[in-house]
Amino acid sequence: MGVFVLNNALVTINAVDLSTRATSVTINYEREAVESTAFGSGGRTFVAGLENNSCDVELQQDLATSMVEATIFPIVGTSVTLIFRNDAGAVAPTNPTYTITGAYLATHTPLNAGVGEMGTTSLSFQGGTLVKTTA
Amino acid sequence: MTTYRVTSDLVYGRALGDTVTDADLDGCNIDALIAGEHLAPISVTIKKQADKEAGQ
Repeated sequence: MGVFVLNNALVTINAVDLSTRATSVTINYEREAVESTAFGSGGRTFVAGLENNSCDVELQQDLATSMVEATIFPIVGTSVTLIFRNDAGAVAPTNPTYTITGAYLATHTPLNAGVGEMGTTSLSFQGGTLVKTTA
Repeated sequence: MTTYRVTSDLVYGRALGDTVTDADLDGCNIDALIAGEHLAPISVTIKKQADKEAGQ
């Protein structure tokens, strides 16, 4: 897989596969830059600090048993594991799995739609550690 | 160790009716999975030793 169009992504939140209700995923992988500049340095230098990850997920709201609302509402204010892949098929070097452990769910919008619009929820996860696996 | 039965078909890598343990769910919010009706604790009945000795 080279470039790709995201049309069959795997989206699991707290071990629940919500791929069929997901419409958008953004993973922000960040290592904080800790300054290591000392006297004699020709320019500022940095070393890697803590991970400062965040993740935004858009879901179609679904109030059915065991679906979006039943899965998401109880995890607001807690930390869970998130798993994503570009394609829901088998993991491979060209289809890596991104696992964020300890992602804190800060925001959930259980009711979010205008007149005539699809009900959606926007989730914002913060923190945790990211691991990328290809096998 | 607590054992749970999978009660929805949305639990990643598990099928409806599978059995999982705390260890299988490391990093997950188990209370939320129960609240969302994805898991149900399996209750275990422990017979007293005295009952066994009495042949009951």
